[in-house]
Amino acid sequence: MKLKEKLGLVGAGPRPTGVPVPATECEIDLRHEEDEALVRRSQKGENAAFDVLVERYKERLYATVYHMTSNHEDANDLVQDTFIKAYKSVQSFRGQSSFYTWVYRIAVNRTINFVKRRKNRNQYSLDDLDSSIQSDPDLVEMQSHATPRREVGLNELQEKLNEALQKLSESHRAVVTMHDVQGMTHADIAKVMGCSEGTVRSRLFYARQQLQGLLSEYL
Amino acid sequence: MNCQKAQQLFDDLTHERLAPAAAAQVRQHLADCTDCRVLEQRTGRLQRLLALKRYERPAPEYFDNFLSEFHGRLLTEARQIGWWERVLGRVDDFLAAESMRVWRYSFTSALGVAAVVGLAWMGLRQTGDPAVAAMDQTTAASSSLAVTETMLPPPHSTPQTIAASLPNLLSASSADYQPVSVGSVVLVSAPARTDSSTPRYVLDRVPVTPASYDVPSVHF
Repeated sequence: MKLKEKLGLVGAGPRPTGVPVPATECEIDLRHEEDEALVRRSQKGENAAFDVLVERYKERLYATVYHMTSNHEDANDLVQDTFIKAYKSVQSFRGQSSFYTWVYRIAVNRTINFVKRRKNRNQYSLDDLDSSIQSDPDLVEMQSHATPRREVGLNELQEKLNEALQKLSESHRAVVTMHDVQGMTHADIAKVMGCSEGTVRSRLFYARQQLQGLLSEYL
Repeated sequence: MNCQKAQQLFDDLTHERLAPAAAAQVRQHLADCTDCRVLEQRTGRLQRLLALKRYERPAPEYFDNFLSEFHGRLLTEARQIGWWERVLGRVDDFLAAESMRVWRYSFTSALGVAAVVGLAWMGLRQTGDPAVAAMDQTTAASSSLAVTETMLPPPHSTPQTIAASLPNLLSASSADYQPVSVGSVVLVSAPARTDSSTPRYVLDRVPVTPASYDVPSVHF
């Protein structure tokens, strides 16, 4: 093999060798495969298998990263970075945890580092609310009698929630996002964060105490 | 069940992850403890409020280009390789060309010669190495130590010859001994032997010429 090919400088079409190929007909079969099988294929250089993993987890990772950053552009960049890092490191993935936990850990760690660096920059995306939220029973209940003093505006609520979350420490925000927004279990969060379940419960308890103070007018 | 234990299990109770017996205990505690009941209700409201963030998501078409963007980034990163990798790549391409077959062998030979010359040059440089100098010093010290034997009576000496050599031993002073350090070991040398010193062995007095080694001329 030529050195250029080894370095990924040449390849069929505009994509270099070593870069996943676009979705093809053979990918349809891959979509039904388990993560473990797709990881093994990726390790053997079958790039279409890694594409399936990206497609499978991009939205879930995006949601978590977005709730931690409250910014769509940052979330998109971080999730892209996460998959690039995972692609480069897939050879070293030994399967001690699930692929999802592994890639989730990469994403959360990168986001925590990013948020630490971006302390003073708070930008919220306020125009991406799903319209189905208007019919959510929790929101209806909240608008009707949880806040008797005044009407809760949807954008205002979104802004307040994001502001409150941004005031938490990075690790507390990550735990609240994964548990109360994403609905992950304590055990899964512990695996992602690399700590004990007790630590997760403790962080969750203190984060909620802080949030209750910050969002008291909505509770 | 105390308050602390009950508060730890609120989440599990809400998400129905508790065994029936444990769930009953927590519910009983909530019925008995007002503080915990208020806390549990506030926690539940906060969780429902946070759950509204699940609606905060981009439109489905937002992810349409995600994979192609991912491929584009990989391509960009692959191009951002080090200069030395680029140079190696260019050299490899240059040598791989069919018209460069003769030059390829010449270049390989030149590289081999350069490597041999380089290794030889490094070998020559190592002769001035401190370790080598220390080795030389050790050799010198050994010869000095050998000289100390000149102060001793020769082997198979008679009492007269031993007595004759004693003045040499007695005349040696400490100033004549120069310490030689080799690494962490300090060797004490004897005074250097001069040509005028007493011959050590009987054969030393015999003038040696190549002819004297002829077997017929040696008589023991």
